[in-house]
Amino acid sequence: MAGIYVYSDNSELNGELITLARTSGQEVCAMALSDADAAEIVKFGPDTIFILKGQNPIAESYTGAMAKLLTDQDASVFLVGATVRGRDIAAQVAAKVRCGLISEAGNLTFKDGAVQANRFMYGGLTEQIETGKALTAVTIPSGKYQSVKNESVKSVVVSMTVDTDPRIRLLGSSPVVKEGADLSKAKRIVCAGMGFDKKEDLKIAEDLATSMGAEVGCTRCIAEDRGWMPASTYIGISGAVVKPDLYLALGVSGQIQHTFGVRDSKVIVGINNNEKAAIFNVVDYGIVGDLYEVAPLLTEAVKNS
Amino acid sequence: MSKIIVCFKWVKAEDDLRIDPATLNVDLSKAKGKISEYDRNAIETAKLAADASGGEAVALTYGAADAKASLKDAMSRGPKQAFWVNDQSAESADGFVTANVLASAIRKIGDYSLIICAEGAADTYAHQVGPRIGAIMDIPVISFVKEMKIEGNKLTAVRKLENSFEQVEVELPAVVTVLPEINPAPIPGLKAVLDAGKKPVTEFKIQDLELDQDDITRKTEVASFKGCSTSRKKIMFTEGDTKERVNALVAALKKEGVL
Repeated sequence: MAGIYVYSDNSELNGELITLARTSGQEVCAMALSDADAAEIVKFGPDTIFILKGQNPIAESYTGAMAKLLTDQDASVFLVGATVRGRDIAAQVAAKVRCGLISEAGNLTFKDGAVQANRFMYGGLTEQIETGKALTAVTIPSGKYQSVKNESVKSVVVSMTVDTDPRIRLLGSSPVVKEGADLSKAKRIVCAGMGFDKKEDLKIAEDLATSMGAEVGCTRCIAEDRGWMPASTYIGISGAVVKPDLYLALGVSGQIQHTFGVRDSKVIVGINNNEKAAIFNVVDYGIVGDLYEVAPLLTEAVKNS
Repeated sequence: MSKIIVCFKWVKAEDDLRIDPATLNVDLSKAKGKISEYDRNAIETAKLAADASGGEAVALTYGAADAKASLKDAMSRGPKQAFWVNDQSAESADGFVTANVLASAIRKIGDYSLIICAEGAADTYAHQVGPRIGAIMDIPVISFVKEMKIEGNKLTAVRKLENSFEQVEVELPAVVTVLPEINPAPIPGLKAVLDAGKKPVTEFKIQDLELDQDDITRKTEVASFKGCSTSRKKIMFTEGDTKERVNALVAALKKEGVL
């Protein structure tokens, strides 16, 4: 049946996507890859749940089956949670059904069988509004929409055996070991960037963080290239995505991949010696200056305030 | 020798974008080009993979006339030759068109064992093209890779998901999309830059590729492209000495209620 088709490997996102899809007034159909996933999804009351059952444990191996379902059912929109797997799946499915994909979309609206959404480009400097008239895939980041349970709808459950791609073999999986601060819950974050010359100097960031009751995060280069801080403390699209009340960037240039991860902060502050640094395009408050001079003075000023 | 093809994109440097504060119109005309940062890591991955496995690293881009400058830059980073689909349509292509064009070019180049793309491009950051290429060519895709190893015809990789690392393997040929942390992207030395000028470049036109009109027609329409009317205040403290500026910042943060 035509309608909005929804998939996410993340159960919270499933709730957000199904609730969003409801606003279209169209049929809402969710895809699940197991009975257990379907049992989670049913709480959000989609009209139909298609349980696709295949052999390969990797969700990305279902893209052929998902594409076939969308085509067979004449779907109008394919909404996918913008997780790591979701981005891959949405792109592969879009290629297989030869449709457009609006990635990391916001402000999604459904109108007259079309979808319209905005997305940020150039590290958040610009915004593009895209529309899709025929079947369009859209990925939606977590936390953008409310998730509302709706157990009054009795979902129709359709279970089907599907072919999965056998060519990618799962060898194993290991949890990301979280070291350092849990930035996702931090109220205030001081972020150390490449403006720091050596590891010992990170104490300047730690002192500032201590003065304001903040956690310390860093940019990808500090963690991955220099190895000065744990990988779990780097902020950015492939690292931690944070939304503190205060995010203070010390010596951070402000590349797109980083600023993506702090966009939802309430207040953003940048301190950088380069007045042209991209970070100053996305700050509420900025000081052009040497972090080695500014940060210690700031620590003192916070202590005395 | 089979090829390891790395796809890269010549993007506008975001620092050079001019946004009219009143109309929010974006002027890209003054913006210099650069190889998308993440693609620099991907190019190095291709070089390292070719060195380790005995393949030939080659670079491929789809870009308008200004992307000519990218070819030498890309080859100075290791690839032995470059392929360029030179067409103005690249400026307005979406992920659907870009992937169709690159997949057709890859088929034309032929004799490949591995296609490497970065996870996303610095301008659009849409992370579509790599997985789309795999789907179009019907070869397996491993995305968001932070480590990989090639042994004979087998590629094993570690993917980074939100809360876990996933180890997977595929037989080649395959598409891999890599995270920047897979390896650093060293700045090429003078000799590498000079040598790059002597390496061969093959130019394709869209008509040289087996593509029909639908393949090169974007699927989503761009209703508007504007500077962000960001809710950010962008208040710069420029008055007085450093101490006075710092005090003004603290006062502002107090007023915001975030200190």
